[in-house]
Amino acid sequence: MILTGEKIKEEVANGKIEISPFASDRVTTNSYDLALGDTLIRYTSEILDPREKPEYEELTIPDEGLVLRAGDFVLGHSQERIGSDHYVPLIHGKSGTARMGLFVHVTADLIDIGSHGVSTLQLYATLPVRLHKGMLIAQVSFWRTYGDIVLYEGKYQNSTKPQASMTYKDFKYDQFKK
Amino acid sequence: MILTGPKIREELVRGTIAIVPFSEEQVNPNSYNYRLGPLLKVYRGFEDGQSRFEELVLPEKGYVLEPGQMYLGHTLEIIGSSQYAMSLTGRSSMGRYGLFLQVSANLGHTTSEHQWTLEIVAIQRMRIYPGMIIGQVSFWRNFGDLANYTGRYGRINRPQESFVPAFD
Repeated sequence: MILTGEKIKEEVANGKIEISPFASDRVTTNSYDLALGDTLIRYTSEILDPREKPEYEELTIPDEGLVLRAGDFVLGHSQERIGSDHYVPLIHGKSGTARMGLFVHVTADLIDIGSHGVSTLQLYATLPVRLHKGMLIAQVSFWRTYGDIVLYEGKYQNSTKPQASMTYKDFKYDQFKK
Repeated sequence: MILTGPKIREELVRGTIAIVPFSEEQVNPNSYNYRLGPLLKVYRGFEDGQSRFEELVLPEKGYVLEPGQMYLGHTLEIIGSSQYAMSLTGRSSMGRYGLFLQVSANLGHTTSEHQWTLEIVAIQRMRIYPGMIIGQVSFWRNFGDLANYTGRYGRINRPQESFVPAFD
């Protein structure tokens, strides 16, 4: 079951959902609107290799905005710190963003319960699009769980800006490495 | 309602969820991390009114995906459930590389059980390895009576291209 906007407000007030900063006018019928933070990451590695730490540059979105060309891919982040120890968050584009041909995630919409921090957005433009800091770009919904809860303690916990992939840290259970 | 990791484990023991092979350390707080199977189909163009795919076995040293190219891969694991609906996506660590594991078709029907075909698209050049942990599957409770899955894809254990007939 998905939480309604009214329930999201209630659970933010109860401390069961973290959205910070929180503004009640960003609450929609079934979700909360997320604003784009200032910092972007662009990979510079010629070939991304999950066994290697990727090379990347960090950019700050200027006041006049930053144009992504069709085919460009950068990592952004939500201004808000989000998370819950009681519900599972899912990230979605806002339909207004999607209508501009912009993906806000690349097939990974699911957030682990117990994960807290700004959310890394996987921004992929299929048309030229200008990004502005603070624009409402994505939304987060919250879902009830079934079963005992074990909280996330992973490598992206407490992010304060976009996080590049850290698969190079996964080798402890990396059975593809013989 | 989405199943938590401990509930996924419980249902596996009860036999209402199948994940084969299963590894305890791939259980997440609300999903299971699946691995990339060894077979990959590479799109080789449109001939005689049909998409042509060439099948290859992923080498241990890895295989570089090219942007703009479409590939079909598959999960190493057989994944299914007699009771729950499934959502299969990439893991965030792959999304962060700009790697699509499916192209907007994430829903797995209750009672399907097989090695899923993955629709792989890389935005940037990227190396993949057979057996790597590449995505996650979550399980969702149903609401309503259940009819059995009668689709064509949900029993196939290798990368399977679309059965949709090509246009004339």
